[in-house]
Amino acid sequence: MLGTLINKELRSIILSPKFTGTFLVCSILILLSVYTGIREYRILKARYDANDLLVSQELQQATSWAHLSTRVYREPEPLQIFASGLDYDIGRWTAIASDSGVKMKHSAYADDPIFAVFRFLDFSFITRFILTLFAILFTYNAVSGEREDGMLKLVFANSVSRAKCIIGKFVGSWLGLVVPITIPILLGILLLSVYGITLSSAEWLRLLLLLLYSLALFTFFIGLGIMISSLCRRSSVSFLISLVAWVMLVMIIPRIGVMAAGHIVEVPRVTDIESRLSSYAQSKWDEFNKASSKRWENYDEESDDNTGDESAEVAVLDEEALWKIIEREDSLSTEVEKDISRYEMKLQEDLRQRKIRQERLAYSLARISPVAAYQFGAMSLAGTGAEIKTRYENAAADFRNRFNDHVEMQKRETGDLGRMVVSVAIDDEGNKSTSSVGGRETGELDLDGLPKFTPPRPILAEAVAPTVIDFGLLVLFSLIVFAGATAAFMRYDMR
Amino acid sequence: MNIVYRTDAPALEAVNLTKRYDDDVLALDHVSFAIEPGQIYALLGGNGAGKTTAINLFLNFIEPTDGEARINGIVTHREPLKAKAHVAYVSENVMLYANFTAMQNLDFFARLGGQTSYTRSDYHDMLYRVGLAEEFHNKKLREFSKGMRQKCGIAIAMLKNAPAILLDEPTSGLDPKAGRDFIELLKSLKDENRAILMSTHDIFRAKEVADVVAIMNHGRLIMQKRASELAHQDLESLYMQYIGGHNNGEPSEGGTDAENAD
Repeated sequence: MLGTLINKELRSIILSPKFTGTFLVCSILILLSVYTGIREYRILKARYDANDLLVSQELQQATSWAHLSTRVYREPEPLQIFASGLDYDIGRWTAIASDSGVKMKHSAYADDPIFAVFRFLDFSFITRFILTLFAILFTYNAVSGEREDGMLKLVFANSVSRAKCIIGKFVGSWLGLVVPITIPILLGILLLSVYGITLSSAEWLRLLLLLLYSLALFTFFIGLGIMISSLCRRSSVSFLISLVAWVMLVMIIPRIGVMAAGHIVEVPRVTDIESRLSSYAQSKWDEFNKASSKRWENYDEESDDNTGDESAEVAVLDEEALWKIIEREDSLSTEVEKDISRYEMKLQEDLRQRKIRQERLAYSLARISPVAAYQFGAMSLAGTGAEIKTRYENAAADFRNRFNDHVEMQKRETGDLGRMVVSVAIDDEGNKSTSSVGGRETGELDLDGLPKFTPPRPILAEAVAPTVIDFGLLVLFSLIVFAGATAAFMRYDMR
Repeated sequence: MNIVYRTDAPALEAVNLTKRYDDDVLALDHVSFAIEPGQIYALLGGNGAGKTTAINLFLNFIEPTDGEARINGIVTHREPLKAKAHVAYVSENVMLYANFTAMQNLDFFARLGGQTSYTRSDYHDMLYRVGLAEEFHNKKLREFSKGMRQKCGIAIAMLKNAPAILLDEPTSGLDPKAGRDFIELLKSLKDENRAILMSTHDIFRAKEVADVVAIMNHGRLIMQKRASELAHQDLESLYMQYIGGHNNGEPSEGGTDAENAD
């Protein structure tokens, strides 16, 4: 009985005229997205390899350890073919030098803003926007449409339980939509081999999980369509509600989550931070200057009291006292600088913590939508989420320290200090002699011990762990809509 | 599956069947009748008279407020799945699955009705029997006229091989030829000893084919007469007389004619 119902649902989807058109469009889009992703990845990889080579050549051509610097480029992730995430938004390289911090800059979208307007079409985008709509379009009338056609009455004139019927609808719709969609997905994966994209076993597993997440999101929308259909009497109404629900879940809720988080956790702007720091520094320096003036006045007074005593001993004492005061003032001034620096660090830490809180809240609120949960999960699995920036900056900062330590060591060992100290000595007879230290070397540098940057590839556990919650949410949401659909259908008035 | 008849109970029976909806509308008011195997029972009445409500109660699409609907002695709201195994149904507007062919529709509903032994040849035979030309057997239902869909619906009902058949306005919208064919088909079903409950607006066809004709108004059964009693009566005049005289479903003195029938 259940098999008959599943078979009917499956066939009524596959045999419907809208299926052919929609399936073709989805298949073309999926294949096109994978092809575009492969093409982009290959371009980025070629660019990365060329830049990497250029950096090596520049280092080999360097003739001085002084001011030796390099650059670190972000290696493109092969899974960005399927979920580009923030890959195009995050800078592609950072300078590694002793006099500058690590900051990823020159993102693809910063260099070519037009691509930011019309963002790259990838598989995760198609899943979020096209496949979810596809699921809704095929399920919005699963129950209400059959009621309007009188088919529910005809079916339930037989010994069919409602539970079996709704399970049949769910399983049949799932098979009817998911199985055909896996064909272009598998063909897309085949394109990887055709274009020579090699994936490690961990990357294959991450890709498999990404596809599983996509199916979970698709399943949720199939369930949602059936649930809404089970709550409505007319298919026109269920279509409208389904469309509104789709817009809310795909477009609105993820953005509202981020906006709400922005209001709930206020993060001061950079100008506010600078203004507060400036005010604080000003007040501290004013306070210091005032106290310092007072101290100098006291010294002058003490000095005036001793003006009658012209002996050399008193003059020495004055000079010693003056140096002591200068040293104390210098020490107090350093304390003020440290205090201001501490305050700045406190402000920066507060800003960082607030940003973290805001980001976490934004993610949590956005996750009310399964689409956002899917997006976060897909980005994490593809290694193109927000953590990519931190991961690279941390690795680059670590590399910078090792690189600079090595350069400093080489500078000390070779005496290549990057500056020339010329000493002029005059002996008792008045003869002058000069010597110099730190002169420019002209030979090639010995780069054997120079640290090399290793791109921080996410290990499998790191990539998968953050997505467990998102996958759990997708499963939970799917169970909720299925339970909702079942509850609604059990009470559905099929007249 | 062979048709299973119980000899100790009518094939279809309504016992004080009452339905009051949540909005307090009394759709069916203590209606009682019994239909024996080989009997065609026609329910006449205007829109909202309660004919479809009675059929919905037999199919357990709604639960009765009071009374019982029984199929082969099984109370439908107590054992709906068991009861529905003994009844076939043809609705007013048979849409069927438009993307399926006639054969595919028959196959699906036959399996749903528990009939898994039918072959393609059986489906062809059944479609021939209801008068559907062979060229349409493998065509999708979306290309069918209403009459052709109705024939498919009847074929589906017949495939179930159930002892009782419920027909809700089966001739509505059919052309005269299709209507005529349908009447012939009903007669053949009656000859197979099936009990048929038919709700209809078609007074003339009801008189032609029914063994018992009943008139409903405002949820009440106000007249119930055997065909033999109507042989020399103008059913249309009678219908108008009953509908006019019992506009509010008020019983005449000494009870309704329905109570006096049989």
